Amino acid sequence: MLLRGYGTAGPWGWLTLLLVACVAWASEITFELPDNAKQCFYEEIVQGKKCTLEFQVITGGHYDVDCRLEGPDGSVLYKEMKKQYDSFTFTASRNGTYKFCFSNEFSTFTHKTVYFDFQVGEDPPLFPGENRATALTQMESACVSIHEALKSVIDYQTHFRLREAQGRSRAEDLNTRVAYWSIGEAIILLVVSIGQVFLLKSFFSDKRTTTTRVAS
Amino acid sequence: LALYFHIGEREEKCIIEDIPSDTLVVGNYKVQRWDIHKHDFLESAPGLGMFVTVTSPSGEVLLSKLYGPQGTFSFTSYLSGEHIICFQSNSTRFAVTAGSKLRIHLDIRVGEHFLDESAIQAKDKVNEVNVRLEHLIEQIHHVTREQDYEREREEKFRKTSEETNSNILWWAIVQTLILISIGIWQIKSLRDFFISKKLV
Repeated sequence: MLLRGYGTAGPWGWLTLLLVACVAWASEITFELPDNAKQCFYEEIVQGKKCTLEFQVITGGHYDVDCRLEGPDGSVLYKEMKKQYDSFTFTASRNGTYKFCFSNEFSTFTHKTVYFDFQVGEDPPLFPGENRATALTQMESACVSIHEALKSVIDYQTHFRLREAQGRSRAEDLNTRVAYWSIGEAIILLVVSIGQVFLLKSFFSDKRTTTTRVAS
Repeated sequence: LALYFHIGEREEKCIIEDIPSDTLVVGNYKVQRWDIHKHDFLESAPGLGMFVTVTSPSGEVLLSKLYGPQGTFSFTSYLSGEHIICFQSNSTRFAVTAGSKLRIHLDIRVGEHFLDESAIQAKDKVNEVNVRLEHLIEQIHHVTREQDYEREREEKFRKTSEETNSNILWWAIVQTLILISIGIWQIKSLRDFFISKKLV
């Protein structure tokens, strides 16, 4: 779908474009993982590509999830239980479909919101090497360094956004818990203390007939 | 379209996109159906379509359309917040046979990731740099929009924390007052009771 509409480019242009289109891919998805559920994602990777899987739990329970990454032959490349955040880089040793799964099976009633970012390959060069006879001009170098800086800014922003969402989720949980607890404790206090007094009174009311003569 | 996952035929799968306002989101997907006889996913299943529904943070539906087995959808966010993109197939036949599932290939691009590759193929050097600069400007705008959104959310976060803090303080004071007044009432009431019963 990237190759549509490039009819005017020469043959080298096509080749470069093809190379560029195949070099890198990044998918980031935020999804909800219900309790006792497992969700798997698959990706076809070419041998030799350097890939990075990064995930973070944003809301739910203790903010942890199980993660497992398997190669095409079923070998487990990465397996962690109850992790809140992790980043794993690996190089694909063979062609095939790699599978990674997030599991919330240890949790009985909390839904979790999980974010993951799966990056395959390095990003394509900004100015593809059609005419690499000359070095990049100053403009091009400036563009490249601005692009790199912005990419890392966007990366940091994403991380910050996720941490802030997690913090806010905890704060809202705390707020509701405090509200419920204070109302509950007020009710319990009143009920218990008024009940105590009436209970004590009831003890002495029953024995009234038997203790009348003692006080004289 | 490299990343894919499986869902049941009648199942609805939703993903969440937390984005600032005025952000364009473009999604590409491809869906395949599992063929029990061939034990593989069919390359193209006739009549198979996907309902794509996009809900804004206020609950308003931004997009709700039926697409074919392969398609592209896009929407621009008006409000900042969590937008929910849901996929559900339009298959009406009941998935009585076990193992009937769908494979969905998905690629979602948010904000600045659009590189108009066709314009870059121009032989003119200046034009190429021009295009790159425009792309960079677009990236910077995206960063600015995200920062504005972040400011809104931090304010909400701070309000929640301050509310929790004052709730706890208020509750501690009220609890102490209740305890003291209940204690006084208990002792007074019991003393009056014992005096009336001639036990004291």
